[in-house]
Amino acid sequence: MPTRVLIVDDHARFRRSARRLLELEGYEVVGEAGDGDAAIAAVAELQPDVVLLDVNLPDTTGFDVAGRLRGTGVRVVLTSDRDASEIAPFAADAGACGFVPKGELSGARLALVLT
Amino acid sequence: MTIDQRPASDALHRAVLYSALDCIVTIDGDGCIVEWNPAAERTFGWTYEEVAGKAMVDVIVPEHLRGSHREGFARYLRGGEPRILDRRVEVEAVRRDGTIFPVELAITRIVVEGPILLTGHIRDITERKQAEAELRSSRARLVETADAARRRLERDLHDGAQQRLIALGLDLQVVRSTIAKDPAAAGGLLETAISDLGEAIAELRELARGIHPAILTERGLAPALAALARRSPIPASFEIVADERPPPAVEASAYFVVSEALTNAAKYSQATCVEVAVLRSGDTLVVAVTDDGVGGADPRTGSGLGGLTDRVAALGGTLVVRSPHGGGTRVEAVIPCGS
Repeated sequence: MPTRVLIVDDHARFRRSARRLLELEGYEVVGEAGDGDAAIAAVAELQPDVVLLDVNLPDTTGFDVAGRLRGTGVRVVLTSDRDASEIAPFAADAGACGFVPKGELSGARLALVLT
Repeated sequence: MTIDQRPASDALHRAVLYSALDCIVTIDGDGCIVEWNPAAERTFGWTYEEVAGKAMVDVIVPEHLRGSHREGFARYLRGGEPRILDRRVEVEAVRRDGTIFPVELAITRIVVEGPILLTGHIRDITERKQAEAELRSSRARLVETADAARRRLERDLHDGAQQRLIALGLDLQVVRSTIAKDPAAAGGLLETAISDLGEAIAELRELARGIHPAILTERGLAPALAALARRSPIPASFEIVADERPPPAVEASAYFVVSEALTNAAKYSQATCVEVAVLRSGDTLVVAVTDDGVGGADPRTGSGLGGLTDRVAALGGTLVVRSPHGGGTRVEAVIPCGS
């Protein structure tokens, strides 16, 4: 069974490219969301295994969304185009299992964070 | 020659007192007014006849300061160390109509035979205070405008070129993985990647120009403004009369005034044509952008022209926007170029 992923990012261009790459590398992208509220609703509806969650969202932050997803069983991987040193130290506090810089996203990198 | 030996008449002293621009108010040892010149009459709204013999504190000192003033005066009369004698201080005073205003006050003791006399030289500094307050807020607005511009730049970079390049990187990973087994699909993705790269470069070029146009630095105001006029969506005529290049700060301000005015005209004016005119006249650069649109522009709304008003003011110039409803818009900056 492939890992089922929800991609949350307000840039459609990134969602499209990330979807194509992750699908090529064996993931099943079950949906996309453009903001925090849509992400919460999509998790409830689609029950993904993993949420690839952008830190900068138009209505809230990825940290906030990760906190709201605590206890749902879904695993959160934060992503951002900001420097890893600004984000990675806070990922665990937010309830995420890790951080992948957007420019370094790949199936292998995601798998590494999830192990 | 001592001052007492100088040949001056009472009439001359009186003329000096009467023609002084500052208020001159003299009080006796009881704190009562004995002299009150015409400047004091104009400033405070009381005639000499109305205030002569009255306690000065009740006439010109605001109510909330009268207690401390009386205490200080009494302490001085008891031989205490004077706190505001022989120096300039800024305090509040009150006019006949009750308005409280800032004054610069200097109190000196008149050394003459007989009872104690103290003279206050009082200058209304309302306008100076207003100018100082405006300068402070103008400086603060300049800092805020610069901060806002940096935030906008960060957002534009983040949402624009940065996102395109990140997506491009992901797409190239896909190309790398698929090119052997599905060259057609990989070729399609490469086409998209090349197109995205071109757009990212164009966005970066546009942002760089917004920060500071290279053509302005390298070639000066005329070619830079000509380039702006060529890019204007509304047909723009352009004329510049300047025999030498103004200082860089003046050039940059003139450029951004024209750039902002053209952007606003394109967005809001519905104009069919716009004229850009730049004239160097002596030590002044006059920049005017005039359109034939709907008018009604207000520089106080939106930070674009407001920020430029502060920027031009910081160079000692002025920026005026005339934009009657239905009568087009004229943005005119007059900027000193220095020597």
